[in-house]
Amino acid sequence: MKISYNWLSRLVDLEGIDPAQIVERLPMAGIEVESVESTGLVALSNIVVGEVLEKEQHPNADKLSVCKVLTEKDGSPRQIVCGAKNFKVGDRVPVALPGAVIPGGFEIKQAQLRGVESGGMMMSARELGLGDDHSGLLILEQRPDIGTPINEVFGEGDTVLTLELTANRGDCLSHIGVAREVAAIFGKKLKLPEQKISAKTQEKPAADALVRGVVLESDNCPYYTGWSIRGVKIAPSPEWMQRDLQRVGLRPINNVVDVTNWVMYETGQPLHAFDAKKIGGQTIVVRQAKEGETILMLDGKARALSPEMLVIADAQKPLVVAGVMGSVDAEVDEHTTDIFLESAWFNPGNVRLSAKALGVSTDSSYRNARDVNPQATVSSALRAVELILETAGGEFLQPGVVVGTPPRGDVRIDIDGDTVRERLGFDVDDATIKTVFESLGFFVKEAAQGWTVTVPAFRGEVTRPIDLVEEFLRIYGTEKIPPAPVCIAAIEQQDDPLEGVLSRLNALMVGQDFSECMHYTLVDGEKVRRWYEKEGGDALALDNPLNGEQSHLRPSLVMGLVEALALNRNNGNDPLKLFETGRVFRIRQDKQATELVCCAFVMPQKSLSRSWQARTEPDFYSAKGLLTKMAQAVQVPARTLMFENLEAASWQNGHSAQAGSWQRDGWQARVGVVNAALAKQCAVDDIVFAAEIVFTAEFLKRKRTAVRYQPFSAFPSSTRDVALVVDKSLSAEAARKDVLKAARAAVDKTFALDAVELFDVYQGKGLPEGKKSLAFALVFRAEDRTLTDEEVKAAFDKVLAALSQNDNYTLRS
Amino acid sequence: MESVLQEIVTRAREKAPALKSRPEFEAFKASYVGPKGELTAQMKELGKAPREQKPVLGKLVNAAKQQLEEIFEQTLASLDALEMAARMGEQIDPTLPASDALGGTAHLLTQIRREATDVLRRVGFVVAEGPELETEWFNFDALNTPLNHASRDAQDTLYLPENFTASNVKRRASERYLLRSHTSTVQIRTMLARKPPLAIIAPGRCFRRDTADATHSANFHQLEGLYVDARVTVKDLKAVLDLLVRELLGKHFKTRLRPSFFPFTEPSFELDVISPDFGKLSNRWLEIGGCGMVDPAVLSACEISPQKYSGYAFGFGLERIAMLRTGLDDIRLLYQNDLRLLRQFA
Repeated sequence: MKISYNWLSRLVDLEGIDPAQIVERLPMAGIEVESVESTGLVALSNIVVGEVLEKEQHPNADKLSVCKVLTEKDGSPRQIVCGAKNFKVGDRVPVALPGAVIPGGFEIKQAQLRGVESGGMMMSARELGLGDDHSGLLILEQRPDIGTPINEVFGEGDTVLTLELTANRGDCLSHIGVAREVAAIFGKKLKLPEQKISAKTQEKPAADALVRGVVLESDNCPYYTGWSIRGVKIAPSPEWMQRDLQRVGLRPINNVVDVTNWVMYETGQPLHAFDAKKIGGQTIVVRQAKEGETILMLDGKARALSPEMLVIADAQKPLVVAGVMGSVDAEVDEHTTDIFLESAWFNPGNVRLSAKALGVSTDSSYRNARDVNPQATVSSALRAVELILETAGGEFLQPGVVVGTPPRGDVRIDIDGDTVRERLGFDVDDATIKTVFESLGFFVKEAAQGWTVTVPAFRGEVTRPIDLVEEFLRIYGTEKIPPAPVCIAAIEQQDDPLEGVLSRLNALMVGQDFSECMHYTLVDGEKVRRWYEKEGGDALALDNPLNGEQSHLRPSLVMGLVEALALNRNNGNDPLKLFETGRVFRIRQDKQATELVCCAFVMPQKSLSRSWQARTEPDFYSAKGLLTKMAQAVQVPARTLMFENLEAASWQNGHSAQAGSWQRDGWQARVGVVNAALAKQCAVDDIVFAAEIVFTAEFLKRKRTAVRYQPFSAFPSSTRDVALVVDKSLSAEAARKDVLKAARAAVDKTFALDAVELFDVYQGKGLPEGKKSLAFALVFRAEDRTLTDEEVKAAFDKVLAALSQNDNYTLRS
Repeated sequence: MESVLQEIVTRAREKAPALKSRPEFEAFKASYVGPKGELTAQMKELGKAPREQKPVLGKLVNAAKQQLEEIFEQTLASLDALEMAARMGEQIDPTLPASDALGGTAHLLTQIRREATDVLRRVGFVVAEGPELETEWFNFDALNTPLNHASRDAQDTLYLPENFTASNVKRRASERYLLRSHTSTVQIRTMLARKPPLAIIAPGRCFRRDTADATHSANFHQLEGLYVDARVTVKDLKAVLDLLVRELLGKHFKTRLRPSFFPFTEPSFELDVISPDFGKLSNRWLEIGGCGMVDPAVLSACEISPQKYSGYAFGFGLERIAMLRTGLDDIRLLYQNDLRLLRQFA
C-alpha cells in the first residue's frame, strides 16, 4: 500500500511535519513502513513548457520528425528533431533547451541530427524522472503557459511511503485512513473533503434509470449501491489525478476508471464502473457463480468460476467476480457514454476465497478482503460521482439504488480509566486517556462509571475494552512503559518430565564425545520408502508439501545422521560421533500415526584420521552399552531391556537388535549396523554402528513405584564356573536363563544366588564345527554366614547334573 | 649357634637386593624358612639343645626369624614397585597429543534454548512440552484465528491429508492435522490442563511452508512464554522481556515494544532490540520476537475467566538469537551439521 505525502497533506494538517517524522512514528503506532522513496521533479533549469507548431517528416530518417516548437511566448519557434510519435501539432510538452542538464546528467546541446539542426529536446515522463513512461512525450494536458519552467508545472517532488499493514488494519488502506492515524499521532487536525453532492436513494431503480433492477441473491453481499451517470465523455483524466495515481503505483487509464481508483486510494472503498449499455437485460444480479460459468477478466485471462464465488451478473452472465476483478464484457472503453457505478460491501472471507481460488490479487480484493467500512459505501460513491461529472461530464441520474443494509455500524464500548491502568500496570490520568481516544476520531461520553466510547465504523476491529486499551497504548507510546523488576507469583508447578530426560540424554551423549546434530523433520518420501516402507513410512506423507525433498515426516533420526556422517567425512572431519534428539513419527498397526521422542547416534567403525596411538574401534557391543545408558536416562527399567534379533530394512540383518515395543511398552530401543546398502547410497562406505531409543510422552508420565531398600549380605561370596558347549545359533541369554534356573533350583532357598554372569565366549580350535562354548560364573552367597565348600559344592553339583540332563548342552571340562 | 644365625641373616640381607622376580623371591624365602631352609634347620637344632640353654637360644632364633621376616617384607615391597614400574612402561612425553581429545558438543540451538530456559526458570517459569503434530483447533481456532485468516492457507501451513489420524493427538471434531506453525499451541494445552496462576515456557520446533533461504527454513525453533494470573500487566511483559534480552544478548541492549497485530494477543507488539555496540548491526532496531497480552478470547477458549485473569505471552526464534549472537548469516548452516560449525560452540 503506497501513500503519497503530498496527497496526505491535503487530508491532514502536516504543517511542520516532514516525511521523515512520519516514517519514524508510524511503526511505533503499529503501521510498518516497508520503504520510502522520493519521486517527482528535482529542480531543473532550462526545461520549459513548449507548444508544437509544426511537425514534419525528417528527410533522412523514417522514425524521426522535425518540429517547430514555441518555447517563449513572444519569441520565435525553434527547430527540434524528435523520435516520439504520440503527439500532434498543438500539444504542449516539456522541452529541454540547450544548456539544460536533464535527470541522469545528460547535457542538451544545439546539434545536428541526421543532417538537420536541432535546438533542444522534447521529453518523456521518464526522461524528466517522473516514473517509467517512455512510450512517448509527456503531453501536458492542462496546457500550462508556454515558457513556464517545468518545476512550476509539477510543483515540488513527493515522498511515497510503502506501508505494510497487519491483517486488522484495513482502514489504513486509504489516504484518509492514514491521515487519521497521522492526526492522532501528531495531534493534528484532519481536513476531510467536503461532500459536494447529495443524492436521493431508493431500493428500486427509477423506470428511466440505466439499470432497471438490482437483485441481491447471496448472503455474501448484504449491501449494494449503484449510481447512474449518462452522457460521459471518456478521455484521459486530469494531470493531477494521473500524477497522484502514478505516485501510488497505478497506471492511468481513462477519466472514469481513474476516478474509481483515485477514490479507492482516498477513501478505501473499491468501486466498479460498468458501461451501462453492456449490462444485459439492464439488470444487476448479485449471486453465487454457477458451475461451468467462465469469465474473461480484465487482465485478459479467461477463468472458470465455481459456486463458492460471488459474482455481479447481468441477466445472462457474470460481469465481475465480486470485489475482485471485472470482465472485459462490461468494461468502460473509449466509446462508453453511460456509466453504472457500483459501491458495495462484500463478505471479506468470500472475497479472499475467490481471489485465492482464481489466483489474482487486486487493489479491490486486497481491500474488500479486509472488511471495508460499510458506512462509507455511499459517501465514497458520491465522491466518485462528483469527480466523474467534473472530469468526464455527463448527467447524474437520481435516485441512486441502495439495496440491503450496512452489515455494521458504530460500536459503543463502556470503559473507565481504571480498566486501562489495570491492564497497563502504570499510572496515566483520565484526561490523557480521553484525549487519545478523541484524537483517533472516537467519541467519548462521560457515563455513570467512566466513559461510553463510540468507535465509528471505519475502525471495525475495535469492539472491546481491551481493544481500546491497545488503541490508547499505541498512540500514547510504548516507550513510556516504565522499567520494572520481573514479578511472578511463586507457583507450585514443575517442568514437563521430557525436559529432564532430554537434558540427561544430552549430557550423556556429549559426555561420551558425541556432537549433537539437528536435521529437518521433513524428508524426501523416496528416502522414507527406502528405509521404512515396511513400517508404513508411506503414510507419513504431507498433504501440501512445498517440494519433493520435504514431502514426508521423518520416521527416524538415523537416516539424517548417516547423511551427516557422509557430509562430515567428505569435509575431512574426524573422528565422527554424532547424535540427535527430536521428534519422529511412526505408523501403528491400526494405521494411526504416533509422534515419538527419539534419541539416536551413529559412529562409523573406522576413523579416517591417523593417530599416533591405536584407537579402539567401536563394535556392536560398545554401541549396545551406550544405548543401555540412554535407556537408563529415559528411565526404562533395566529388567525390561531385553534384546532380540532385529530384522528391518534399515538395519543389517544378523548384526542388529531391538528391545521393547513402542506400541506395547511406550518405548523401543534398537542398535546395530546400519544397512550397508542404504549407508552406501548415502555415500558412507563403512560399517556404521547406530542406535536409537524412541518413547512416547505418556511413557514418561507413567506412575512409578518408589524404590525400596534391599538388604545385602555382609558375608563373602563363593563363585563356581561352568562352561557349556552349545550350538552356535543358541543365544547367550537363553543359555544363561537355563543356568540361572538350574542354579536357583539347586540352592533351593537354603542360601542365595547372587548372579549368573557370562564371562567367556569361545569358538574354534578344540570345539566341534557349529559349536561354541559359553562360560558362566555362578556367585553364591548366604545372608547369615560364610558358605562352606561342602554346601557350595553340593549345590554346584546339582547344577551340573541338571545341565547335563539338557540335550542342548555338553559340559566342557 | 649365635654366629650361625648371625651369618644366615647377613647373607639374606646381602642376597635380597639381587632378587628380580617373584619366583626367585619365593625360592629365596624357602631357602631360609621353607621345610628345608637354613633357619628351619636351626630351629630343629634348638630342640636338641640342653634345657638350660633353650631360653637364650630360643630368643636368638626368634630374633633372627624376625629379622628375616623384615627382609622378606622389604624385598617383596621393592619387587612390587619394580613390577608396577615395568607395567607403567616408558616415561611419558607430556607433549604428545591426547587420544581423541575432541569432546562432544551440544548444538548451538540447544545451548541457546538452555540459556533462555535457565533465565526464565530463575524467575519462576517451568518448561512445558507439546506435540509438533497438531490439530487446526490447537494451532488456530483456540488462538482466536479467524477461519479465513491467511496463516491458515495451505500456502503457509503444512497439513496432513484429510484421512490422516494421529493416535496421541486427539481432535475435537473433524479438523485437519497439521504441523504446528508456532509453539503457542502449548499455551492452549497448558491452560486447558490447569488453571492460573501459571507461568510456562515452551521451547520447540515449528513449521512454515517457506522456501528455504538464508533466513527461512522449513522448520525452526521458537521459545514461547506465558504467564497468566490475576492482574498481569503490560509493564510485567516489558519487564520479563527486558530481563531476557539483557541475559541473552547483553546489558548493552535496549528493547522496545512496537505495536503490531496477532490474533491471540491484544495489545500485540513486536519486540525490537538495539545496541550501540553490536558490530555491523549497531544502532539499528532489530526485530527478535512477538508478544502481547493474551487475548480475552483465548482465555475464554481455555475456560479461564478473562474477568478474573489476564496474562502475557511472548515468543521468539532460537535461530534468530543464535544468528544474532554468533554472526552466523545463513540459517541453513544450523541444519547442515558440519562439525566445523558445531564444534565452534563447544
